[in-house]
Amino acid sequence: MITALVVDDELHAREEMQALLEQTNVIEVIGSCSNGIDALKAINTLRPQVLFLDIQMPVISGFELLNMVHQDIMPHVVFVTAYDQYSLQAFEEKTLDYLLKPVDSERLAKTITKLSRTIVEKSEPVYQAEQIHRIPCSFGNRIKLTPLAEVEFVSTDGGGVQINTKDSTCFTEVTLKVLEERTPFLRCHKQFLINLDGVNEIILLDAGRAKIKTHSGKLIPVSRHFLKRIKKKILL
Amino acid sequence: MDLLTFSLHNIFALLQQMSVFLVIAYLFTKSLFFRSFHINTLRWRQLLFLYFVFSIFSILGTYFGLPINDAIANTRAIGAVLAGIIGGPVLGVAVGLTAGIHRFSLGGFTASACGLSTCAEGLVGGLVHIYLIRSYQQHRLLSPTVAFFTTFVAEILQMAIILLVAKPFSASYALVKVIALPMILANSTGAAIFVSIIRDQRRMYDELSVTFSAKALKMAEQTVAILGHGFNRKTARDVAQVIHQETGVGAVAITDKKHVLAFVGDGNDHHHVGHKVSSTQTLKAIRENRIVYADGGKNKWRCNLSENCPLGSVLCVPLRLDDELIGTINLFEPKNKLFLVTNKTLGEGIAKLLSDQILYSHYIEQKNLLTVAELKLIQAQINPHFLFNALNTIIAISRKDAGRSRDLLMHLSNFFRKNLKRTGTISTLKEELNHVNSYLIIEKARFEDKLQLEIDCDPELLHLKLPIFTLQPIVENAIKHGISTLLGPGLIRLSAKKDQGLVHISIEDNGGAFEKQSQKGLGMNIVEKRIKNLCGDDHNLHISCIPGQQTVITLTIPEQGCKER
Repeated sequence: MITALVVDDELHAREEMQALLEQTNVIEVIGSCSNGIDALKAINTLRPQVLFLDIQMPVISGFELLNMVHQDIMPHVVFVTAYDQYSLQAFEEKTLDYLLKPVDSERLAKTITKLSRTIVEKSEPVYQAEQIHRIPCSFGNRIKLTPLAEVEFVSTDGGGVQINTKDSTCFTEVTLKVLEERTPFLRCHKQFLINLDGVNEIILLDAGRAKIKTHSGKLIPVSRHFLKRIKKKILL
Repeated sequence: MDLLTFSLHNIFALLQQMSVFLVIAYLFTKSLFFRSFHINTLRWRQLLFLYFVFSIFSILGTYFGLPINDAIANTRAIGAVLAGIIGGPVLGVAVGLTAGIHRFSLGGFTASACGLSTCAEGLVGGLVHIYLIRSYQQHRLLSPTVAFFTTFVAEILQMAIILLVAKPFSASYALVKVIALPMILANSTGAAIFVSIIRDQRRMYDELSVTFSAKALKMAEQTVAILGHGFNRKTARDVAQVIHQETGVGAVAITDKKHVLAFVGDGNDHHHVGHKVSSTQTLKAIRENRIVYADGGKNKWRCNLSENCPLGSVLCVPLRLDDELIGTINLFEPKNKLFLVTNKTLGEGIAKLLSDQILYSHYIEQKNLLTVAELKLIQAQINPHFLFNALNTIIAISRKDAGRSRDLLMHLSNFFRKNLKRTGTISTLKEELNHVNSYLIIEKARFEDKLQLEIDCDPELLHLKLPIFTLQPIVENAIKHGISTLLGPGLIRLSAKKDQGLVHISIEDNGGAFEKQSQKGLGMNIVEKRIKNLCGDDHNLHISCIPGQQTVITLTIPEQGCKER
């Protein structure tokens, strides 16, 4: 069985997709999500092999979602959309396949065949991810897209990834690794990414370690290993 | 000779020379200059001209004078006084001085007295001019009564000056006794008649231009209404009739580039609508895109269709649309009638006017076409996203609830039929709500618990007339750009309320995403344009947006509804 995650903001659309997939007897739907943020969380935790993904969704679109998934856990992607205003052929090469709603089960069968072959051949899904410009961030039950410029640093304490702005902190499902790769933020510590634009001063300590003071006065540790790189970057 | 007969003789002699004057005055009023001058706005060039004219009058007055006792009984005063009244003190004194110096040069015992008094008379005229202007009585500058009494006073002044200045007093006294009465009367009467000639001529011109303007305006008024329906055979005939009636010319023809669109008047027995243009002059006007005129004198108009055509002269004026010739307008006069210059001017003016009107109606037509095309566009622009998502939703629901999916298909069908079938420009709120309702029911099925609908319309307003397709694009916008961007529950609230003669229809969503759209978008723009077009310019579409919380679109429509245009 191939594990799949269905992502669509419409309830009936999710249910229909799920029903169609279950009829194939090849796919096991391990989850369904109504938005990109929930989907990111599910991808990170459930590690589905394939994603049946709607494109037009609130807050973050299907494309944006893929930019936030790390290459190591990137599932195969099948776009499911009502209308190819995005001229999906252009994405065909990037993704495994695309389906038009309402989904025809015979057409779906072809997708499954292609999918099965790909999985048997063990070819890795390759999605040409783009840079992230806004990070989805939750405050309680609200979700906000935080522009990179507002971020001072990103931290993790094992429990989750925190986006720290000048005057607030929020949680994101995007991993530190993804943020390191797809934003200009620099790694300064195993658990920290720093936005160089948010640096006020770098305080050098003994044993090649340092601390960074942000504009809002917070102190971030810098480990020896990353200090050199940061110094190089700011031409010290 | 006894004094009385001498005086009478003098009066007649003076009146005789005055007649010569009046002939000159009459000729002056026929001059081109006279037609162009306005007494209230004299420029220095015109003043200079007046100076010469009145100086010559004044000097001639001296020459035609009657020598009496080494002095001259004359009508010199008329020129100076009138120059003063018409042109002001400077002109009056200038003319008086010129004529005075001339009189002085002729000598005699009253030479200096007469020279001086002529200046004084010019000044008197000038003072009257100032008085009339200051007391806002400009219209009396050309009053014969004013001219009479001013000259009367001026002449008395002259007599006084002669008595005071001319030496010896006995001689001057004797002279004044003889000439005073005839000169005072002759000059005053002469001035009054002179002014009345000027005034009558002006009045004639004014009346002529008033009738002319009235005619032109009447024609403009009538043709505007006609050409509002476009430029075709029917409107051409109506316009030709109006022109024929108003100008009184023999016949009027309107053509396009090749054919006769209308022919009204003499010769309509053989000049038929729909025929190819046959008139040599008209063809020339079309070919060369200019006015062609055959005055019926040396340059005759000859009918190419019939020997017995009564028409003999023509004015062909091109009708243009943006500089491009689209036809001609032809004014004919019969062989036995002169082509009036006023009709020629009028004809040229009409053609210009009609060209403008055709251009305007063309523009309006284009504008209407555009709106119709745009409307078709919104109708056709049923978002394919909506269609396929709706179908997908219905398919999903049919698995679980066949009855509901059937209902939804009926709504989808209703929505599409309404989109395709609705014609005209005006609809009622009830119809609009019905259309929107089908749409909303389908969207509600798509989003299920994520979408909540509240509709609150005053039932009295259901028959309110408003532009067709007003609500649907706005509701669609609220869902597409508002609700569908929300992670949480969405709310659409539609309400219609009366308030002080206005109806406010508002569509509210809790997306608050409008600020992200920098412009209103095609759909909204068309809705607003149509409201302004059909409900009046002061009614519109208002957008208020609290980012992240709420967008409210409010339409304001007059309580009595909007009208088909």
